Amino acid sequence: MSNNTTSSFGRGRCYFKVVDHYENPRNVGSLDKTSKNVGTGLVGAPACGDVMKLQIEVDDQGKIVDARFKTFGCGSAIASSSLVTEWVKGKSIAEAMTIKNTDIAKELCLPPVKLHCSMLAEDAIKAALQDYRVKQQDIEIEAVKASN
Amino acid sequence: MVSLTIFRIICTSEALHILPKLFANRRCLSKTSIYATLCKNFINFSSKDTQNNSCFKPVSESTGKHVSSLLRTFSTASEKLNCWNCGHSVEQTPAFFCIFCNFVQPPDEGASYFQIMDCDQTFALDTQRLQKRYLDLQRTLHPDNYTHKTVKEQEFSEYQSALVNKAYRTLLKPLSRGLYMLELKGMHIQEGTDAGADPTFLMELMEINEALDGARSREEVDKIGAATREKLNDLTKRIEASLHKGELQAAKAFLVQMKYFANIEDKQDQ
Repeated sequence: MSNNTTSSFGRGRCYFKVVDHYENPRNVGSLDKTSKNVGTGLVGAPACGDVMKLQIEVDDQGKIVDARFKTFGCGSAIASSSLVTEWVKGKSIAEAMTIKNTDIAKELCLPPVKLHCSMLAEDAIKAALQDYRVKQQDIEIEAVKASN
Repeated sequence: MVSLTIFRIICTSEALHILPKLFANRRCLSKTSIYATLCKNFINFSSKDTQNNSCFKPVSESTGKHVSSLLRTFSTASEKLNCWNCGHSVEQTPAFFCIFCNFVQPPDEGASYFQIMDCDQTFALDTQRLQKRYLDLQRTLHPDNYTHKTVKEQEFSEYQSALVNKAYRTLLKPLSRGLYMLELKGMHIQEGTDAGADPTFLMELMEINEALDGARSREEVDKIGAATREKLNDLTKRIEASLHKGELQAAKAFLVQMKYFANIEDKQDQ
């Protein structure tokens, strides 16, 4: 693409980021939600009717080794969740908790009207992390009960 | 757009110079008079002044009386409008044309879409009657009829025609109609995640979306489409019942569900 074309969009690289995630989404799919190493976050945005599922697989050292998503909604919502799955891979639970919607929006150059999509992705990853944490707590409780 | 007749602004001296820019939309000024108070000085400018582009004229400091008269006249009640062309009073709401000179009027800011389309403010709506009203209105309001008229008439016809379009589109579909009715009662669906959403419901939505995504034949798509339409019809009945009983929270919850299913219905055409 010529320089003229990209510069005519103003933020040429940013424009193509969302399109890229939409056309070549990374990590689309599902993980086994019954597995004890998998946390699942399922969120919905009532105003626009988007639904987003984000799943993480965590190893025994507490590091996220895999992440998958499925989003039904606009391009910005798909791109936001796709980006989050890219970001969390290789991170610890604590690091993943620090992902902010503002970071996502900045990376994808989301316009103001689409900021809620990045918010949805942040809520999805937080929900997945929470689900994993709750699962681990339940496992611990079971282990304590069993040993008594 | 807010419907006001008298709008009171209190601002610092620095902000005063930007006030005229705030009201660049003359249309909303046709019904408002604007009073700005700055400490002890009262600056009074009316819609006429701003149309002439002059900013404001300071009023003398007399004004213990002036203050109380300002306070008394602060109201959001509907003002009696006069035709901009012949000056006769325009009584009806909403007013499209002056009944004396028949000149097109600016849109009535205080009229709801239901009033514009001459429908009762109920969720149950005769869409055929709505469509007829829409066509009748556009027949007289559409800008194509005003190509040889004055600039002001062309402008007003554009605004009126656009507003009628918006009213028609909003009232035609149950989802937008229901959401609009909630809006009229001051209820909005906020942006962002619904923290209290039922996980089972979200799971169901995911599964339907995934099934639609994975559908390989037209029959599969149609099957999902039929199930979705049934769901939408069921929700329409529930929304009607809730709104009729004034149960706004319940109606809102059903409208949210409807939004999700409406998205699914839109997808099946793709």
